[in-house]
Amino acid sequence: MRTMKKLEDSLYKPAQESGITESGIVIRRRDILRLAPLALLAACDISPEGKTETFLRKVQGFNDWVQGTIFGPHKLAPEYAISEMTPESGFRVNTDSPHDLNLDPKTWALEVGGLVQKPGRYSLDQIKAFPKRVMNTRHVCVEGWSMVPRWGGATLNDFLNAVGADKNAKYVYVASGDGYYTTYDMASARHPQTLLCYEAYDKPLTLDHGAPLRIVIPTKLGYKNAKWLTNVFVTNEKTSGYWEDQGYDWFAGI
Amino acid sequence: MTKIKGPTIRERIHPVIIRVTHWINALALLLMITSGIRIYNASPFLNDYKIPPLFQFGGLAGARQWHFFAMWVFFINGFVWFFYNLFTRHGRETTMFRARDIGGVSPMILYYLRIRKVHPPTKKYNSLQKLAYSSTPVLGFGALLTGISIYWPVQFSWVTAIFGGYDSARVFHFVFMSLFVFFILGHLLMVAIAGWNNFLSIFTGTIKVPAPEPEPTEQPAQL
Repeated sequence: MRTMKKLEDSLYKPAQESGITESGIVIRRRDILRLAPLALLAACDISPEGKTETFLRKVQGFNDWVQGTIFGPHKLAPEYAISEMTPESGFRVNTDSPHDLNLDPKTWALEVGGLVQKPGRYSLDQIKAFPKRVMNTRHVCVEGWSMVPRWGGATLNDFLNAVGADKNAKYVYVASGDGYYTTYDMASARHPQTLLCYEAYDKPLTLDHGAPLRIVIPTKLGYKNAKWLTNVFVTNEKTSGYWEDQGYDWFAGI
Repeated sequence: MTKIKGPTIRERIHPVIIRVTHWINALALLLMITSGIRIYNASPFLNDYKIPPLFQFGGLAGARQWHFFAMWVFFINGFVWFFYNLFTRHGRETTMFRARDIGGVSPMILYYLRIRKVHPPTKKYNSLQKLAYSSTPVLGFGALLTGISIYWPVQFSWVTAIFGGYDSARVFHFVFMSLFVFFILGHLLMVAIAGWNNFLSIFTGTIKVPAPEPEPTEQPAQL
């Protein structure tokens, strides 16, 4: 139950302080209920319990710090030739789109808030108006498998500049239509290969791959690549995340 | 081994630093291998074969937490062991395999194959043991480099490239783990054969050896 309380707090906080719309908060409340069994499972499943868990989490925090230190803001992830890329038939879906996905492609818009000069809702066409970056980068799953799809989208950096994001802000919080949420350190968020991705293999994203808009961040593990993006929030507060609450590392740099 | 007849003395063979690093290493390597197997099982590459796990670690997240904690212990401890043996006289004399040990390898192999009946004379370790123990830092470096390749394939993409890319670096990391397992099995077998007296020495630091022949006392001159 303690874990669930923690999860509840971390789910609530950004929403409450962000001024994300009332309906946004309602979504999260419902998500908490849906996540409750998962949270309980995570608490029982981690065999390091109690003091061991606390200790290992501290080591994990130290490893996150190490990763943040060695992270090169301009170091590019290798980009592959078309001949080396994973064929579209091997474009793997690890998380199918949930049946109760809270997202209507027709009315969808990206909700932007926090430490930005121009908060509000941004349409897909507005995002497509930014210079498009197409790249064949490796998607490395925490499970160990990897693939090299062809991604296309606007860089998050261009978008953050356009909405007047605070240059000194430390984090970017994102949330998805399936209840997923996480934060990125600002250096990773502004990395030139971090995309607001709306295309894969030169075609619009399919729903299973996170349509209409997802994050592609090849400097981090697969689970940091948010699908079905609904919210972007610039903040100085580091929050937890969907997978982080289940014991995975927050920085997840590769 | 056979019981020593006659009087014995205790000879100091394992300094404290060797005993401490040995047991820290044993625990860290056990954690590294078992949590590594759990991580491997999340996406096996050997025909989807999952290795029966020794520990569960509460799933992939827990296994990763243990793995990325134990790695620090394993490598810092390993470096202490390596530098001790490299830079102390005791380490260089007894443990590090050197050019002059080459000649001693084949007599030891012949002895283990029961072709040679007499154990070649040795100090703490024979040439074959030195070769085995000196190979462990090589395995350690291999595990470290392949580990970096798959932990940071972007930040250290040039290391990953040495091992032929991310997917093949994973296989190499697995191979180095397997070599460690191979070493451990051989080590345990030899410990079992060498017997109790030898086994205790990694706790106490000393081993029972036959007492040296008493110096012949000089006979008083005959008048």
